[in-house]
Amino acid sequence: MFRKILIANRGEIAVRIIRACREIGIATVAVYSEADREALHTQLADEAVCIGPAAATDSYLNMEQILSACIATKADAIHPGFGFLSENSRFVEMCEKCNITFIGPTAEMMDKMGNKSQARLTMIEAGVPVVPGTKEPVYDAKRGAAMAEDIGYPVMIKASSGGGGKGMRIAFGPDDFEENFQVAQLESVRGFGDNTMYIEKYVQEPRHIEFQIMADKFGNVVQFGERDCSIQRNHQKMIEESPSVALTPELRRQMGDAAVRAAKAVHYESAGTIEFLLDKEKNFYFMEMNTRIQVEHPVTEMVSGVDLMKEMIRVAAGEPLSVKQEDIHLQGHAMECRINAEDPAHHFRPCPGVIEAIHLPGGNGVRIDTAAYNGYEIPPFYDSMIAKVIVHGRTRQEAIDKMRSTLGELIIDGVTTNVDFQYEILDNEDFQAGEITTDFIPMHFNL
Amino acid sequence: MAKLKHMFKKTAVLFRDREDRNQEKKEPSAPEGLWLKCPKCGEVVYRDDVKAHGYVCPKCEGYFRIGTRTRIRMVADTGTFQEWFTDLETENPLEYPGYEERIADLQEKTKLHEAVTVGKCMVNGLETVLGVCDARFLMGSMGYVVGEKITRAFERATEEKLPVVLFTSSGGARMQEGIVSLMQMAKTSAAIRKHSEAGLFYLPVLTDPTTGGVTASFAMLGDVILAEPGALIGFAGPRVIAQTIGQKLPEGFQRAEFLVEKGIIDGVVKRQELKETVWKLLNIHQDALQYIHYGDTQNVENLPEIRNSRGKAAGCDKKELTAWERVEISRSKERPTTLSYVQQVFDDFLELHGDRSFRDDGAVIGGIAMFGGQPVTVIGQQKGKNVKENIYRNFGMASPEGYRKALRLMKQAEKFGRPVVTFVDTPGAACGIEAEERGQGEAIARNLLEMSGIQTPMVSILIGEGGSGGALGLAVTDEVWMMENATYSILSPEGFASILWKDGKRAKEASEVMKITAKDLKKLQIIEKVIREPEPANEENLPEIAEEIREDLDGFLRKSCQKTREQIVEERYERFRRM
Repeated sequence: MFRKILIANRGEIAVRIIRACREIGIATVAVYSEADREALHTQLADEAVCIGPAAATDSYLNMEQILSACIATKADAIHPGFGFLSENSRFVEMCEKCNITFIGPTAEMMDKMGNKSQARLTMIEAGVPVVPGTKEPVYDAKRGAAMAEDIGYPVMIKASSGGGGKGMRIAFGPDDFEENFQVAQLESVRGFGDNTMYIEKYVQEPRHIEFQIMADKFGNVVQFGERDCSIQRNHQKMIEESPSVALTPELRRQMGDAAVRAAKAVHYESAGTIEFLLDKEKNFYFMEMNTRIQVEHPVTEMVSGVDLMKEMIRVAAGEPLSVKQEDIHLQGHAMECRINAEDPAHHFRPCPGVIEAIHLPGGNGVRIDTAAYNGYEIPPFYDSMIAKVIVHGRTRQEAIDKMRSTLGELIIDGVTTNVDFQYEILDNEDFQAGEITTDFIPMHFNL
Repeated sequence: MAKLKHMFKKTAVLFRDREDRNQEKKEPSAPEGLWLKCPKCGEVVYRDDVKAHGYVCPKCEGYFRIGTRTRIRMVADTGTFQEWFTDLETENPLEYPGYEERIADLQEKTKLHEAVTVGKCMVNGLETVLGVCDARFLMGSMGYVVGEKITRAFERATEEKLPVVLFTSSGGARMQEGIVSLMQMAKTSAAIRKHSEAGLFYLPVLTDPTTGGVTASFAMLGDVILAEPGALIGFAGPRVIAQTIGQKLPEGFQRAEFLVEKGIIDGVVKRQELKETVWKLLNIHQDALQYIHYGDTQNVENLPEIRNSRGKAAGCDKKELTAWERVEISRSKERPTTLSYVQQVFDDFLELHGDRSFRDDGAVIGGIAMFGGQPVTVIGQQKGKNVKENIYRNFGMASPEGYRKALRLMKQAEKFGRPVVTFVDTPGAACGIEAEERGQGEAIARNLLEMSGIQTPMVSILIGEGGSGGALGLAVTDEVWMMENATYSILSPEGFASILWKDGKRAKEASEVMKITAKDLKKLQIIEKVIREPEPANEENLPEIAEEIREDLDGFLRKSCQKTREQIVEERYERFRRM
């Protein structure tokens, strides 16, 4: 097992990782930018190293600085959390060269899954269903239009290197194809320096269903059931829950098996998520694999009873998985709301500032992951998520009720948040009935 | 009001009883050379990134110094480099203690024979002599062996009729060999002269740092001199200069870009474009591309496709413009400038800069472009399109250094038998204190004299204003053509009216009596050809006009390639002798 881990991240996920380390008895090193001197992760870790100015490119994305900090503090592993360097295969290579364990998959696995065209081919080979689409990358709008015709409109135009909605556009017919293609390609060139695009069938009214998996170095792969993450605004998830009302036990087994096949196909190790789209007719298609721990992992922890973060660290240290597939029995219903410092009344613009007072609710089946505290100043440089509220009930209805009660007790004074907006979602009839697709927010809130 | 500092219990306190579970694991450490420190911005950068980026810092675009083998790999076709003269040895003329041991030590360490490596290689299939200096070897300094290798390389290149490409990087003459080192400067320069007299091409590429005796000899003697971005280039080192004059040196002093601005070198070339540029220059300077070969079978297929646009009898029923109207058109902001013509008439224009002595004049552009398969030297006055550009271009009014740059490029064209096309578009030569201080009159006069004797076909095209001596300084050529709406005059109509009639406002009237239009001048046999403008030339109709120019130029070159160099000069003499 590791003696000391450096956490190459900030905010609640850094705190989450530090807590897992403390439980196992691993010393921790936080890295922080000049803007995060007072941040919780900086204070909670056993040691803390400043790695540069506020801008993420100069600090949390600065590979040289982070590795220097790791060598200087003699940490033997780096946990990247999510975002920042978590899916940067070059960073993984650098860690390896420096004798540092990267807690996550190898660079090769990351590249295999990070490149969407290649991931798709791998999945087809592994017998995992994929959305009908182009087999080859597309670079040119004219050629793309011809391919879209073959696939059948509407189509989704996607950047190979894209993510989070960037470099992604829907075209409903030949008339708006070229324009959308060019916009998506331009976004990709500007955002990722890559003009590689591909086109696939746009699955209408889908649900976003993802399966949590965990794999060790011995070829064991376990899936922990699904999360329904259909409630999204602008491709950013807002509410996640497990299980999904849309899945029958039979379908859950089928999709779970597919997820395990997908992970085995790339000889995956570490925590990962296989994302599927589920259409109205209950056809599921592989969308992509996230080769990292995810924001919404606590939802799965609540229903499975397994601490995914600790499991991820153990697996990275070369230990076998502590659970087998037959040990996994999902209990009850868990739900997570992401609390962001943003203003829903003004296009969800970020609202950094000082948290004058914060009251965190508690009680049976309530979990709050946050790095906020009384007097904490939310810096304007990073993601606006300040807390995750997770509840666990016996049924979906109990979970919804518990979430409403909990959010009603949550007080964050000093900055505007999306708590009230979350309420509106929870109160929505369709939401309560489980009628949720990825169009839910645009459809009900015109956003 | 964060009060969390030192509040939390540390992990070690929570787990006091646990034994150390990880004794066998190796400590984290950065392997040697995983990171490099950028010499320019000081940032730590990942070695693989730097390599993949052509040894250029991915953060600041600063250049890393590179070794000989990397440089050869960067320029030569794989496996084609054959090294020469590795048996030479220094005689330690000063009997400098420890010198031989130091050389042996460096040979061992760098795996190089000496501070310069010379040999023969191919660059995209073109054969050339290649030399590379290496700063790791006693700062790339020149002693007997370096001087001898370079000299022999030039001698052998002369013998085998090969061009030479030399990457310099040196602190200068080698102190340990004293006066013998100094003599290498003269020796190498003499060998370069012989190589040049044989009509062969020499391209030095100056890399960081090129100073002292190397700058004052073979580095500065190229037909074209290029440098890498940001390279330090100078005779005296910056520290010595600062100490001597007791002043802080300006930002960018002695850097490659500074030398371009000061007219000393032709241009800066990025590593990413290095091989392509070297190849382009080697290609242009092939013997087979002299003007006398124009129209040879090998070139014919590359000739511009001539579209017969002459058939259209446009302009016949057109209303005749007055001279003044043409003056106004010739001065119009809409009028295409030299660069527009160059782009439309030629391909692959490679601009070369500087007069090699004072400054690169923005009012005159020059360089080499392709016309079909034929390289052509192109020179012209360049006006700006807006105020900012015009400050740099000085409204197309050339300074003495502009005429000197033009002459330098004409002489270069003459050496390689390359035709010259000049574009004339100037209100007149630059008028001012500095222009006079540097001999504006002398510069123009020198051009008139030298141009009359340049042994290669030359043609000039007046595209806008042809203002006086400033225009003539680029127009002593075999033929002079004029755009229909261009003017060519002893001075501006305003000046003419002011001198003869003491009233500059009578310019319009003056323009009518001065005979300055293309039609008048054709009648006076001052020019050979009028290039029609169905509509006054602008960026939109330029492609059509350029087509006609291409056709005329093709005709001119076909005619010229029949003539010997002497014949061309004689006919040019006769042309002006008649006037």
